[in-house]
Amino acid sequence: MSAQVSKLILMAGLIIVVAVLVLTRRIWGTALTHGLPSIWRIAKMTVAEARRKRVLQAVVVLVILILTSLTFFTYLNPEEQARMIIDSGLTTIAAFGMLLAIFIAAFMIPHEIEARTLYPILAKPVRRAEFLLGKYLGALIILGVVVAIMTVVLVGVLLLQDSMVEDLANSKFDPNLLPVLFAAAMSYCALAVLTALIMLISSVASTTMTVIGAVLLWVVGSMQSMLLDLSTKVTGATKVLTLAFFYAVPPLQNFDFRMEVSNHIGVSMPAAVFALERGLLYAIVALVVAAIFFDSRQV
Amino acid sequence: MRHRRRNFGFVVLFALGMLLVQAPLQDAVNRARPRVFDPSRRDPLQSIASIRGPTPVLIAALGGFRTVAADLLWLKVDQLWDGGAWYLLPSVMESVVQLDPHFLLGWEVYGWHLAYNLNTESVLEVDKRSWLDQGLQVLERAVTLNPDSWQMAFELGWTCFDRAHDMPRAAEYLYRASKLPDARSFAARLYYKTYERTLNFEKLWPALEYAQSRYKDEPQHQKLVKSSIEWWKTHQFDPQWHRYEIVRENSARQQRAVRFYLYPGNPYWNVCDRCGLPTKKGQPTCGACGKPFPPTSPKPV
Repeated sequence: MSAQVSKLILMAGLIIVVAVLVLTRRIWGTALTHGLPSIWRIAKMTVAEARRKRVLQAVVVLVILILTSLTFFTYLNPEEQARMIIDSGLTTIAAFGMLLAIFIAAFMIPHEIEARTLYPILAKPVRRAEFLLGKYLGALIILGVVVAIMTVVLVGVLLLQDSMVEDLANSKFDPNLLPVLFAAAMSYCALAVLTALIMLISSVASTTMTVIGAVLLWVVGSMQSMLLDLSTKVTGATKVLTLAFFYAVPPLQNFDFRMEVSNHIGVSMPAAVFALERGLLYAIVALVVAAIFFDSRQV
Repeated sequence: MRHRRRNFGFVVLFALGMLLVQAPLQDAVNRARPRVFDPSRRDPLQSIASIRGPTPVLIAALGGFRTVAADLLWLKVDQLWDGGAWYLLPSVMESVVQLDPHFLLGWEVYGWHLAYNLNTESVLEVDKRSWLDQGLQVLERAVTLNPDSWQMAFELGWTCFDRAHDMPRAAEYLYRASKLPDARSFAARLYYKTYERTLNFEKLWPALEYAQSRYKDEPQHQKLVKSSIEWWKTHQFDPQWHRYEIVRENSARQQRAVRFYLYPGNPYWNVCDRCGLPTKKGQPTCGACGKPFPPTSPKPV
């Protein structure tokens, strides 16, 4: 895409977005301007509910066990050990984070509707968009705590191994701590985008459909580069469709820096900034659309 | 009903608008991360259709776990290595580097295994040549996919220098390696060594000067380069040294040529047990020294 076309597309998109945001300001505007206390209360309630779930605690314990078991690769040379621990550790954080995001977010709204606990909340001066944002914020807090715990354990494992492994002349154990922290933070951002999408699906679909949809979105979102490859191998309408699909899928691979970190390649900060910008926009789209859908849903 | 239809219209418009806003942002991400999002920087073999791993590996690759799948296969490589299954290793290593084309150690071991281990293990000279060529091809792919890595360029340069004895090509890659960031000083030293071996003084002096201009803060490097310069100042026009180098290079070349014919049961050539040189089968005497071959089918040396 040339720079001129890019600018034109950006301008056209901005005009449409601003117009729609102005026209639907009554739905989301009050939620943001006057509903912050309600949003925060619902978020706290969501966190309290999640803390009581045994599954969440069990998953955290399981992840800690997996991460500590990464110290077993002692028969490899130091360089290979570092790569295995960093790569497997970050993948464990990403995979279990995704499972927890689905587990937490997919059940929130449908469960509230099925258990009829939503009605007393909506009977109070709480708008539906505020309820949705509160639930999202609560899910983000829970995921943040869980990802932070997993990252701390991974860093601990890396430091422990660093002190135990003896470096060889041509093979050194490099824990690469700062990039590991960065990659874990980016994984959390990917989870934030995925959670927003799960909220969108759960605002219109049942729990089962939400779980299936979330897994599909995660898989497709992790295949962005593959779609781009595919678009170079086809022509005509198929190419246009493939490219449109590439730009439409959730940008989850943008946040995946595992390859760079485990191979000790420098991380591109502009790429991270652009990924964050796009992720933020994507999450906002998902939440606004979810708010509009949830507002018109009959419960 | 009208309310819902209007809302749906807003949703569609909003999603379209955001999609348009996001496309240029994604282009910016693509430009900033060419290793992941630039199809021209990717191995053509790297597409999911051509990964030669087992089904779980394909599934892992589809789910965004390419590097972990590569790690698991690398553990398999370790297991096969310890079990001595050297000829099974290339296919597993190929899967590893296709899954993670930036796994430098994987490329390095893969190329080295083909160009050194399997090359040495082979009996037929044609097989030896084939493994060496495959090793060089693997390392070339590694250099193409990792153009910023000095290790890959050095590994290819070293294999050309030490194994293929292809000095011009070795010089090209060693020079490239020495120019890349974080390159170690031995890359620059090995670069001028390629010209020393071929007595190419036209290029040797600039290469020595180049090596001297690099790594000013490494006294050991400066000392080694200086001693090379002093040596060649003394020996550049020394015919005895030239003869020594030429004989060494020619005898190495002759040895390689002779080895080509030396394998058990060669149906085309007889090897003379006096001069060691080959003659086509059917000739009664050695074409080089004239010694008659025994009347029965001779056993190669």
